[in-house]
Amino acid sequence: MNASMSTRTIFMIVAAGIVMIGGGLLIGQTMPSFFPPEASAQSQQIDSLFKILLVIGGAIFLLVQGLLLYSVIAFRAKPDDTTDGPHIHGNTTLEIVWTAIPAVIVTVLTILSYNVWVSIREEQPAEAVVNVVGARFNWAFTYTVPTDELPADTVVSELPQTIQDKLNQDGAVQVATNELHTYVGQSLKLEMETRDVIHSFWVPAFRMKQDLLPGRVTEIRLTPVEVPGNTDYPVRYPIRCAELCGGNHGAMVSWVVVHKDEAAYKSEFLNTEVSQVLHPPEDPVLRGRQLLESQQYPCFTCHVLSEFGWVGDVGPSLDGVADRAAAARAQATGLSAAEYLLQSIHEPNVFLVPGYGPLMPNLNIPDDQAADIVAFLCTLSVSGESAC
Amino acid sequence: MASISVPAGETSAPQQPRLRVSDYLRWSVDHKIIGVQYMVTSLFFFLVGGVLALTIRTELLTPQLDVLQTGQQYNTVLSMHGLIMIFLWIIPMMAGFGNYLVPLMLGAKDMAFPWLNAFAFWLIPPAGLLMLLSWFIGPPEAGWTMYPPLSTIFSGDGQVLAALGAHLLGISSILGAINFLVTIRNMRPKGMGYFQMPLFVWAMTATSILVVMATPFLAGALTLLILDKVAGTAFFDPANGGDVLLWQNIFWFYSHPAVYIMVLPGMGILSEVLSIHSRKPIFGYKMIALSSMAIGGIGFTVWAHHMFTSLQPEYRLPFMITSMIIAVPTGIKIFSWLGTIWMGKIRFTSAMLFSLGFLSMFVIGGITGVMLAVIPFNLHVHDTYFVVAHFHFVLFGGSVFAIYSGLYHWYPKITGRMMDERIGRWQFWLTYIGFLLTFFPMHFAGILGMPRRVAVYAPEFQTLNSLSSAGSAVLGFAALLLIWNMYKSLYVGSIAGANPWRALTLEWATTSPPPAHNFVGDPVPFHDPYGYGSEEATAYLDEIDQRYGKGSPAQPGSAAAPQPAGD
Ligand code: HEC
Ligand SMILES: [Cu+2]
Ligand SMILES: [Cu+2]
Repeated sequence: MNASMSTRTIFMIVAAGIVMIGGGLLIGQTMPSFFPPEASAQSQQIDSLFKILLVIGGAIFLLVQGLLLYSVIAFRAKPDDTTDGPHIHGNTTLEIVWTAIPAVIVTVLTILSYNVWVSIREEQPAEAVVNVVGARFNWAFTYTVPTDELPADTVVSELPQTIQDKLNQDGAVQVATNELHTYVGQSLKLEMETRDVIHSFWVPAFRMKQDLLPGRVTEIRLTPVEVPGNTDYPVRYPIRCAELCGGNHGAMVSWVVVHKDEAAYKSEFLNTEVSQVLHPPEDPVLRGRQLLESQQYPCFTCHVLSEFGWVGDVGPSLDGVADRAAAARAQATGLSAAEYLLQSIHEPNVFLVPGYGPLMPNLNIPDDQAADIVAFLCTLSVSGESAC
Repeated sequence: MASISVPAGETSAPQQPRLRVSDYLRWSVDHKIIGVQYMVTSLFFFLVGGVLALTIRTELLTPQLDVLQTGQQYNTVLSMHGLIMIFLWIIPMMAGFGNYLVPLMLGAKDMAFPWLNAFAFWLIPPAGLLMLLSWFIGPPEAGWTMYPPLSTIFSGDGQVLAALGAHLLGISSILGAINFLVTIRNMRPKGMGYFQMPLFVWAMTATSILVVMATPFLAGALTLLILDKVAGTAFFDPANGGDVLLWQNIFWFYSHPAVYIMVLPGMGILSEVLSIHSRKPIFGYKMIALSSMAIGGIGFTVWAHHMFTSLQPEYRLPFMITSMIIAVPTGIKIFSWLGTIWMGKIRFTSAMLFSLGFLSMFVIGGITGVMLAVIPFNLHVHDTYFVVAHFHFVLFGGSVFAIYSGLYHWYPKITGRMMDERIGRWQFWLTYIGFLLTFFPMHFAGILGMPRRVAVYAPEFQTLNSLSSAGSAVLGFAALLLIWNMYKSLYVGSIAGANPWRALTLEWATTSPPPAHNFVGDPVPFHDPYGYGSEEATAYLDEIDQRYGKGSPAQPGSAAAPQPAGD
């Protein structure tokens, strides 16, 4: 009798153990199929760690819920039973076991996590550095292209003088976009800054996130990989801001564009951008237009400009701003239209447009670019002619 | 036959006191009145915070902005929701339980410092008013975490009011906690050593230590924030030598312990309810008591796990290790509770249902907590809906379920009336299902890529969000059932008697509600607060029933219902 009871108990415990571990494995196996694609080397490591977490977490979940369910079914008091349960105060062995097992589990998890944590931050050979700037509510990316990596057909001596000077001085030119371009296998290091509040750079498909902190340059390393079954290049993955940064926080979205390989990256993206930089339009108005349209600066988040489809409502509309600059603003400030527009970019808070607060930041735009922007803004008049 | 220690003095049961509404509207130094004042005030704010929560869920029914006008408005709603639920609902509600129960459980006449106790409570209404007013003078929009520079540069002046409100609430907590510690240290009755205290008292001890040690850091952080906003200092402004991480470090040095400040009393409630309603001694009393202290202690070393994407990478590792360690005492508690109900004689009262619900939900919050402590995984889900799911499993599935449970359990003591069990069961199942529906899908939303605190989101998340929103409506309705049940039971609930659950702790060894100074004479505690299933205990409980009388079915219109003021 006694022996058969204990065989039954042992059988029950073994069965429960199998259900628990089998269930944990099942959870760990099925859940990841709902995940976003695993599109970076880091995401592969993080996901394999997460699968372990799911197996263990799933097993513990089943254990506790199973014991709970069993208890409420097996130990419910009969309606007419007013007696108490057995007078048991504890069981030292059991208590040691359920202290020790979780302790072992978290120790193992800590070691595994440590390894992944070290490896996903590891410096890679030949990293490409891209600068990231977050500003309410847009992302801007700047790539540095050294002289020896300019497109093969570049003849430096034929470039405009300003560009030649820059190449001589810095040995490189900069290309700016508001999407992050990269290619499969490229080791990226992002150096990130914010213009205003804290933002957080997150690419769900890469499983990586890092805050952008005022007063600091923060870093994150990413290596895009091929996603099995994907043939459609370039692939686009969303970038989302994860740290509350204001009213439009949810819309602070951009894209990572992963090209198939380095050659595709150059031909589909970099070379066209570089040649635009190397051969800027002669006309400053066009240069200014390109600059604003590229959304490299966050003007569009605050201003309306119908031509480009901008709908920002923090600052005054830029439609027809040239006429106002030449009339009302010139009167109020005593500046010429062009001077006024330059001032509203470099020192936005010296003169505040009536009805608006000091919300426009000084974006530290280089002088030459600011001049181009002003030239373009001057053409935002009713007639379409420059009003400056 | 074992000798029985009789709880009350020689005189027979005192006249049952009448409760009057007017007593609760004015300054009183009676800990029972103060306890109820805390509870009713916090229930009011629970409703306010609940309306805000439902506003959020309604807005998130669609990916675009439609209910609210601007994203800023949305941020204000979510900031107020967080601030109110934490500082004006859970924390004061737990203080309410503590105030009502600790002196009674210790057989004391009142708290150690009755005047201070009243003062601590009366800080709450003005603080709540400040928080609500902040809405109207330039609303805060930086979340309950108030990270600068968003809070310092972009939030309106209301941010200062909200911070001042939190300041007052912090002072209130500290004063309350000092009072608890002194009471527990000095006013235990003869025969009650620390290890004979009810586990709720242990939980309040650990909580109070946390409050006294952690809350001053909140005060410090808030002071610096207010100075930055109104006095032109630059503590958090890097352009002038400040540092935004300074805020995060000080804030979380308080706010992680605050999680335990909100959960530990709930765990205390659970230890009482599970043992009493399954008629079995608590399993591993010492381990439960000491794990509260361990959680309190280790709780001070984990704060930067909230900063895994902002803290300098080389400092992150230690916080992963400590956050892992803290899972162990939490696990001990869960298994000890399972051991408690195992082989018990479970009564499915509403109080018990909510405690079992706590167990079932809290374990999910615990598991996701360990996952979040894993830095690499945290990098993916930090500041996403996964985190929102996690902390609602801990704070709603944990603290709020415990509060619901505690209300059903001690309502008879507080009012002398039983609550309606049928409504209670409805409330439980609606809450349980509504809760799962609201918060479980959020795990997926987070993993799939939805950040938290967004008013607009990618269309692919709409299904998950609709589920959450539907669940929240059920949750809201269930909360109204509770309020209705509490209100109506005041008038038509059956008479509870002194000890309707046949519990061994001292609060049940006096009339319901207890007389002005709680006990007649000096009560002698039963030597084992959880000694169910022994002959001694049964004899003791029978003795109590005899002395104070048992409850009786409802007699509408009689006895305990409060009379309107000024009769
Ligand atoms: C954070 C929001 C914000 C951003 C970003 C922003 N502005 Fe503004 N802008 C404002 C506000 C607010 C005003 C009105 C107050 C003032 O005059 O400074 C304004 C005013 C102006 C004016 C004067 C308009 C008038 O009617 O006189 C110009 C021109 C202007 N901005 C151009 C720009 C350009 C170009 C950019 C991008 C390089 C930009 N702004 C980026 C908020 C912004
Ligand atoms: Cu942002
Ligand atoms: Cu924490």
